[in-house]
Amino acid sequence: MDRHWTAEEIEEVSGDEVHLGGCVQCANAVIANGLMKRRVREAMLIGDAPPRLRARLQKRNVSTPWWMAIAAVLAAVLVLSALAWRRQGQTAVTELADMHVTMLAGANPVDVISTDRHTVRPWFEGRVPFGVPVPDLASTPFRLIGGRVVYWHSSQAAYLLVGKGAHRISLFIFRPQDAPRTLGTPPASMSALSWQDKGLTFVAVADVPEGDLEQLRAAFER
Amino acid sequence: MEERAGTSTFEELALPLLDALYRYARWLTRDTAEAEDLVQEAYLKGLRGFGGFHAGSSIRAWMFRILRNTFLTSRTGLRAVPTIPLDDEPPIADAATPELQLLQRADVESLRSAIENLPLEFREVLLMSDVEEMSYKEIAETLSIPVGTVTSRLIRARQKVRKALRGET
Repeated sequence: MDRHWTAEEIEEVSGDEVHLGGCVQCANAVIANGLMKRRVREAMLIGDAPPRLRARLQKRNVSTPWWMAIAAVLAAVLVLSALAWRRQGQTAVTELADMHVTMLAGANPVDVISTDRHTVRPWFEGRVPFGVPVPDLASTPFRLIGGRVVYWHSSQAAYLLVGKGAHRISLFIFRPQDAPRTLGTPPASMSALSWQDKGLTFVAVADVPEGDLEQLRAAFER
Repeated sequence: MEERAGTSTFEELALPLLDALYRYARWLTRDTAEAEDLVQEAYLKGLRGFGGFHAGSSIRAWMFRILRNTFLTSRTGLRAVPTIPLDDEPPIADAATPELQLLQRADVESLRSAIENLPLEFREVLLMSDVEEMSYKEIAETLSIPVGTVTSRLIRARQKVRKALRGET
């Protein structure tokens, strides 16, 4: 060996694991470095983390500080109820209005075609899980056109199609537990009215003034 | 709530580092209570920032870096920063036999106090290299410095320890 090792070279070899040629000075330097590492380790190796710190991290749940957990739950509840509100509210009347338009556009909007309530009412028996009240509309501006069974969020509901002049009114009749909880605002040029009667929930949807729907309600509530 | 990088949760990766992080915090703060607070804060920060951790890179380097940054922005840390010395001792191999004897005879307490009195950036490289046995590459990653700087910093740190043991300042 014709020169001494630099500090970098000594730093890079791991002390006594290396076979050192004939240079006593370099050998000493490397050994000193290895010894230095061991002594530094010895001096710096203080104890482990105190158990109370570990417990604190685990109990207060490092992964969720309590306030973060509460905030997350609150945020989730808010978002879900907002979504539920939207779904129950705004979309209910929109969906019913869509059904109204779709059925009127179809070739057969109703399955039982009759102006006779004594025909329409028994037709629903066994088709929906409740008795469908069909009043006598003879002395009103309305006339019965017919009825059919519809599905609302997987539950059966009765559908009556009622005429007033050239207009058609869709009347949906639900058991209360199957009915939309809130209706929301109907689309432009449409009216909607919901009421409870005889243990059932009625929702009328049509492109008529809301006053007409109030009139229909009165006819059904007689 | 679980936060994930790859398939591991933050806790799975970071909790096994607790002892090492605590040691680092102790040698940074030189105070046990402060070290505990520092570790706790670093864990919270790590959890919050876990999305930014790349699976496959060194979680140890990542957590050490968080702990270090947390410390440096703390009051104690801000006081510690200005002590960066520009030491221009040439890094040459000057260890001779008396050096060995000095090292062998030094008791742990005086060695410990010699290290405690070193400026922060020397204390931490000694800890990472000699206690945590991190590779120079990992130390460089943790401290965001080149590997060559890690080497020279270690050399100077050891020189300073030797000097301190000899009673020099």
